[in-house]
Amino acid sequence: MSKAIVETENLVKIYRHGKIEVQALRGVTVKMPNGKIIGLVGPSGSGKTTLLNIIGGLDTPTKGKIYVDEVDLTTLSEKRLAEYRLNKIGFVFQFLNLIPVLTALENVEVPMTLAKIPKEERRKRAVELLKMVGLEDRMNHKPDEMSGGEQQRVAIARALANDPSIVLADEPTGSVDTDTTIKIMEIITKLNRSLGKTFIIATHDPMVKERCEKIYNIRDGKLIGEN
Amino acid sequence: MAIRNISRRKLRTTLTVLGIVVGVGMMLALLSIVSGMDVRVTQMVRALGGADITIYNATTPGRGGQPFGGFGFTIQRTINLNIIEQVSQIQGVYAVSPQLSFMGYIGNTRITIYGIDPQTYDEVTGGLNIINGRMLNVGESGKIILGKAIMEALNTTIGGKVKVGVSTTEQREFEVIGEFETGMMFQEYSAYITIEDAQNMTGLENEATQILVKCEDPYMVSEVANTITSYIPGVRVTTPTAMVTQATQLLNTLTMFFATIGLIALVAGSFGVINTMLMSVSERTREIGILKAIGAKSSDILKMFLAEAVLIGALGGVIGVAVGGVLAYVLPMFMPGIMGTASILGRTTIRGIRQVGSTQLFTPTLTPTNIVVCIALGVLVGLIAGLYPAWRASRMKPVEALRHV
Repeated sequence: MSKAIVETENLVKIYRHGKIEVQALRGVTVKMPNGKIIGLVGPSGSGKTTLLNIIGGLDTPTKGKIYVDEVDLTTLSEKRLAEYRLNKIGFVFQFLNLIPVLTALENVEVPMTLAKIPKEERRKRAVELLKMVGLEDRMNHKPDEMSGGEQQRVAIARALANDPSIVLADEPTGSVDTDTTIKIMEIITKLNRSLGKTFIIATHDPMVKERCEKIYNIRDGKLIGEN
Repeated sequence: MAIRNISRRKLRTTLTVLGIVVGVGMMLALLSIVSGMDVRVTQMVRALGGADITIYNATTPGRGGQPFGGFGFTIQRTINLNIIEQVSQIQGVYAVSPQLSFMGYIGNTRITIYGIDPQTYDEVTGGLNIINGRMLNVGESGKIILGKAIMEALNTTIGGKVKVGVSTTEQREFEVIGEFETGMMFQEYSAYITIEDAQNMTGLENEATQILVKCEDPYMVSEVANTITSYIPGVRVTTPTAMVTQATQLLNTLTMFFATIGLIALVAGSFGVINTMLMSVSERTREIGILKAIGAKSSDILKMFLAEAVLIGALGGVIGVAVGGVLAYVLPMFMPGIMGTASILGRTTIRGIRQVGSTQLFTPTLTPTNIVVCIALGVLVGLIAGLYPAWRASRMKPVEALRHV
């Protein structure tokens, strides 16, 4: 088995809301395998989104260590974290992923624009990616002209734009119906197989769970089991 | 992308842009009016011939303004040229030049004819603005310099011959050797000949209607003028350039005043931009979160919002310039204060100019510099007003921004 893509040691995250402390993560130690579809499963408030955000460099742990692709994220500056998110990570959120004023094609181009990739190359790759998620005929539509499922597929295409090591998805099927969920999971599975990307999906949807090759169960900020 | 972002809320953007339009428009209109007046003053300085002091005969009764004896031409009371010697000895006087002007005829056209001494005339006034041909030489006879307007009216050219005289009948032939321009039509309805020719024509040997004086120091003009009136009996003086200097000072004050009004309008407009941008940032919190999640740096977000603010400012600047251009011509009609000023300026003009209608006293002038400055002001206001909202957007924490729906 290949080396771990994500490795954490006793990860703790405490949020303070005024005087109230919320322990979102209470010491998570985990080694996630490379190139798999991984599920973080647990009820809402269990800490799975927090863990996902820390892996993605959006949030920093209060205590503990996290290595992604052998890089210690806790040592990175804010600017380096932005670069890390740009080049190593792709994000897919539950909803409202896209920039409303831009077309599907332009939304997929955004990360490449931020990475200063030349316009022609950007456009070519964006078209390719949209074909991969089956949206070649929706390229020039704006988000409000697309269904929820189509918007999520554009978000997946965008997540892959800069060829990241990991795609992080937070409840990617949380706002779509069953058929669309199946369709999205099929696309994720296909991309995982063809591109060898690691997908880490936070979910509580059994249908999504089914498609994951590795599951971590999280409850009350702790890892309570994996299979 | 900035264009599409500011097009999201069209009404709000339009209103914000209008705020800048008002400021920039005011600024340009006022700057143009002031430059127009400035051009006017410059023209007047030239029209006044640049002499610091003009000396006239003040004795009564005179023949001034009345047809001259039986000759049938109009002339002011004259001064004997022997006072030139006296005037040039007064301290502070740099140069003195006699001038004999009268209403005469070229063919059947009635015009003002100035008899001058070419050499001292140049010293005192800085010379005529000759655009074709040449200036008169000292003592030269039978040569004439015509204004551009009369030149066109007579349909003649350099080297052409014209009949000149104190009446339509008693005329002699002159050769046109030069053409001058002042930029004002009525002034160009005049002609210059040597003072000797003018004296022969009018029969006024050794006489002049005005003595033009140039002072060594422009600040000594009124002092010198007082000395002249107290030393030489029977004369009065005008100090046209001194009045123009005063008018210029008044203009500077006006410019400052109007610039302040324009700036206040712009500051008000900039609050509109700040407000709009803050609302936009707050509405797009989640979008900022998404952009940061997919790798946008704080500086990328900052630039994005600044670009939108600058675009609003630039739009306001460009539209403001268009509106201001129109306002520059419309506003003077509603501002009697400025018109009053203009008529003060009008009174300093030389004889024969006053018949020009007061509405023609100045024309607003749109200079490229003013236009560029005004557009740049719009951009600058957008940039400055956009700084704080853009900074707020860039400082947002991605996790918190994403929680915002």
